[in-house]
Amino acid sequence: MTKTKERYTPIRLLMGLCLLLVSTAIYAQDNFTISGNVTDKINGETLFGTSIFLKGTTIGAITNEYGFYSLTAPKGSYTLVFSHLGYKEISMQVVLDQNQKIDTEIEEFSTMLDEVEVTAEEPERAILRKPEMSVSKLNIKTVKQMPVVLGEVDVIKSLQILPGVTNNGEGSSGFHVRGGAVDQNLVLLDEAIIYNTSHMLGFFSVFNADAVKDLKLYKGGIPAKFGGRVSSVLDVRQKDGNSKNFALTGGVGVISSRLAAEGPMFNDRGSFLVAGRGSYAHLLLKLAGEKNSVSFYDLNLKTNYSLNKNNKLFLSGYFGRDVFDFDGSFSSSYGNASGNLRWNHIFNDRLFSNLSLIYSKYDYELGIEDFEFDWISSIKNYNAKYDLKYYFSDAFKLDFGVSTIKYEFDPGQIKPTGPNSSINELQLDQKRALESAAYINAEHKLTDRLTAQYGLRFSHFNRMGGQPLSEYANDQPLVYNSTLRFYQRTDPISETIYKKSESIKKFSNFEPRLSLAYQLNDYSSVKLGYSRAAQYIHLLSNTSSVTPLDVWTPSGKYIKPQLSDQYALGYFRNFKDKMYSMEVEAYYKTVDNRIDYIDGSDLIGNNTIEREILNGESRAYGLELLLRKNEGPFTGWISYTLSKSEQRTFGGNAGGPGINNGSWYNTPHDRTHDISVTGAYQFNEKWSFGANAIFQTGRPVTYPNGQYEYEGISIASYSDRNADRLPAYYRLDVSATYKPNRRPDKKWKGEWVFGIYNVFNRKNAASISFGQNFETGANEATRTAIFGIVPSVTYNFKF
Amino acid sequence: MKFLYKILLSTLVLGVISCTDVIEVEVPEGPIRLTIEASLDWEKGTAGNQQTILLSTSTPYFDSQRNSAVTGATVQVTNNNSRTVFTFTDQNDGSYTTNSFVPVIGNSYTLEVLYEGERYTATETMFAVSDFSSITQSKEDGEDDEALEVNVSFEDPADIENYYFLRFQSRNDQLPELFYVKDEFVDGNEVTFYYEKIEDEGENIKEFEPGDTVDIALLGISEDYHNYLRLLVEQFESAGDAFSATPVALVGNCINTDNPDNTPYGYFRVSEKVERSFTFE
Repeated sequence: MTKTKERYTPIRLLMGLCLLLVSTAIYAQDNFTISGNVTDKINGETLFGTSIFLKGTTIGAITNEYGFYSLTAPKGSYTLVFSHLGYKEISMQVVLDQNQKIDTEIEEFSTMLDEVEVTAEEPERAILRKPEMSVSKLNIKTVKQMPVVLGEVDVIKSLQILPGVTNNGEGSSGFHVRGGAVDQNLVLLDEAIIYNTSHMLGFFSVFNADAVKDLKLYKGGIPAKFGGRVSSVLDVRQKDGNSKNFALTGGVGVISSRLAAEGPMFNDRGSFLVAGRGSYAHLLLKLAGEKNSVSFYDLNLKTNYSLNKNNKLFLSGYFGRDVFDFDGSFSSSYGNASGNLRWNHIFNDRLFSNLSLIYSKYDYELGIEDFEFDWISSIKNYNAKYDLKYYFSDAFKLDFGVSTIKYEFDPGQIKPTGPNSSINELQLDQKRALESAAYINAEHKLTDRLTAQYGLRFSHFNRMGGQPLSEYANDQPLVYNSTLRFYQRTDPISETIYKKSESIKKFSNFEPRLSLAYQLNDYSSVKLGYSRAAQYIHLLSNTSSVTPLDVWTPSGKYIKPQLSDQYALGYFRNFKDKMYSMEVEAYYKTVDNRIDYIDGSDLIGNNTIEREILNGESRAYGLELLLRKNEGPFTGWISYTLSKSEQRTFGGNAGGPGINNGSWYNTPHDRTHDISVTGAYQFNEKWSFGANAIFQTGRPVTYPNGQYEYEGISIASYSDRNADRLPAYYRLDVSATYKPNRRPDKKWKGEWVFGIYNVFNRKNAASISFGQNFETGANEATRTAIFGIVPSVTYNFKF
Repeated sequence: MKFLYKILLSTLVLGVISCTDVIEVEVPEGPIRLTIEASLDWEKGTAGNQQTILLSTSTPYFDSQRNSAVTGATVQVTNNNSRTVFTFTDQNDGSYTTNSFVPVIGNSYTLEVLYEGERYTATETMFAVSDFSSITQSKEDGEDDEALEVNVSFEDPADIENYYFLRFQSRNDQLPELFYVKDEFVDGNEVTFYYEKIEDEGENIKEFEPGDTVDIALLGISEDYHNYLRLLVEQFESAGDAFSATPVALVGNCINTDNPDNTPYGYFRVSEKVERSFTFE
């Protein structure tokens, strides 16, 4: 019966903490609460991050992701102010002698496309008092202003020009945060886990900018409500849909086109958004006689319905797919699909809750005509989450909740597709797991200057049965052969079949999170943070860049959960009445149990992954600087990151020195220097301009250190992993946006965006490969550069 | 499964405006090591008594001078079942030969090389191979429907683990096409592989034409040698690109018993082999 006991531990913990909360709630007597929702006057979208405060006091609140706020103050008369950058400030007189609900609409200075003065949104400035640190926030408007390759607005690429975020070179999927790996990022789209963030192997992101409301990247100081990944959380929220008018937005570009429709629904009790995007470059390639084709599409859906003042339902979905076809010999397709049903319930003016039921899936399919077989792999999860926020007082707010995720892994199956196929049918062992968590997190204003955020997450992982598992002599799936000096796979001695009701292995972890903000004066503050996070599922990838066919695998008998500890210290400062802001942060992060791959590891179609890997560790540290100009016709920022990211793996149970002789070596995403300068200039009502300049240290790689003849070919010899580097990367992009004359009464609003990516046409090496020249047999180094100069033009419209 | 990687690679090249060019790169210089190419291949239907072992040293990666033959070494192979010793004679050009070798399937052999005062050894078992069941040419198979390819098939024996090394060498070309085969997914089936050249002006690769001759060899090999070849072929074909694993040192089965850090390169294999030449019509 120990199982039952363990299952209830997190719930009990939470209940205990709730009791604590209730007992502290008793002294709040002569205080009253104002709560409500803040929405945009024009389109009815709820606003996240609006600050609401009582003038002349330090009492204030910020709207949550659903636009809800609650603030509590002693009885009295006040001026209540709603402030959101880019919006007109609203103030009203309130007499606080009872609890009240105030819903407010605020209006933008001017409609989006006619905007003259570009100002950064509030979240993009240095926020001094909140203990939140190591967070990169971008408003979708800012993202849309940046010059991009082929005119495709790209959320992920925009993040990469902020400090601490890099990619693995052009044409690589995913992104890296503070020296972490791609699979260490939790990517959420309306709370659903997105397993692959890229279309076309990293050239475009899966997020359609027309459907996205805002995004927030937690690089550290991850709030206790998030868990399951050790490096970062990217929280992307879709628009709710215009609840005032029917509207169409869209764009026509070189690679793809987009169209989004939104409008009120259910007799103004709700709204909807449908956004689609598709590429058609493959059609052009076909016309040009190219036999191979690549295409992608995605669809975003969202609708909401207000049952009454205190209850609102949201339904959102995403479906995206990439399709590759190689002249009929190979075809592959892959993508994410997700759906989320949410119920916002306001218990009372201080207690807000949200229940989410989420499904998400990633699958990869490959058909090989020549050998007549299909290869299919997938990961699916069902997630139930209940999150609550209690606005106890102005000085004390509490988040708490529970979550459980059921995972189903199908690491691969092979199906012969023709009678002449020489391939046998094969199903790799399917795996199941349950990841549960409970958390509590307090935002506590200790003094007028000192604010703390402290929380605890308890996570539990149950690798469930329903599969056979290989057993090895001495529990060694791998053993170091000290004569030949390499890691050798051992043969299983037996197989244990675990029933579905059984558990293969269980893990649990306490994950404390803490951040403190101390406001030095009106314009500067110091913050520090510590967080521990556990990650129970891992993406198996032994290549420098992850690929769509990499599969996820759960922790279990042979793979331990990754555990990270991160320490961060920051200094934040606003200058010249918030016109400029500066953020400086230093971090140190360690990850235990990071999987590493033995020399010659073979991961594809492998049922016994434990024979290919060792459990290692990684560490990363760095210094980040962000300097922004937030207001005026010219806005922009300079971002600089100095960092190091390394890993080390000992032999452990397998014996021997470990991978790379047990020495620290650079991870493939280590970048010593990463500098970017981004600027936007509003020239007049018609023309605006943007530019990016990027400089990065080259990616670590392994170059040959000699060659020898064998089988009539030249074989390269190699020594230490990732000891060399590609040449440094740099690039300049520019863009110009033209908004033709338009009369204010005309509904149709269009704009032209002209862009040039890589103006200097620099051939940045995405990779350098070594091999023999086919004709002469001489060894040579071949550089692959992905994008030279790429001009583009896009037409965007709004109706 | 190397075609899975090939797909990703071709995607990278095709999807966008990518370009490749040959550049100058400075590479590190590692230690010079002995390379042992001890391939005792017994062609089916022959006596297999004539065998050659090649010894050379490694050279810096971009050295055009690759003639680094090793002379003056002592080379012998022992049959561990019969204890017969076969001595290889130094031909003073890096090759060491014998006329008295006796191949026996399933027997284990040990190689011993003495060079510059250090002793190198390796042990390997001789594996059998099935004969080709057919060798044909076609156009419609392969990646390109208009290019000629040669298809070879052989029957894999059911219910036992088999590993193969398949080598194509066009007589007009410098470089061979190498395949490592494991019967895990194809156990007991007739297995077919093809060799097709896709025209590439940049690399001066031309399609096969009628009259071109290809030498084809198929060998039965050990699991360890298969793993060695897998890494060798993967790295030979795509070392350095973003979708391949970090390239690493190949670890063969030869060890240096006197100075273990001075590990030799190469491999000692003892295999049954079938060999054919095929001329396109």
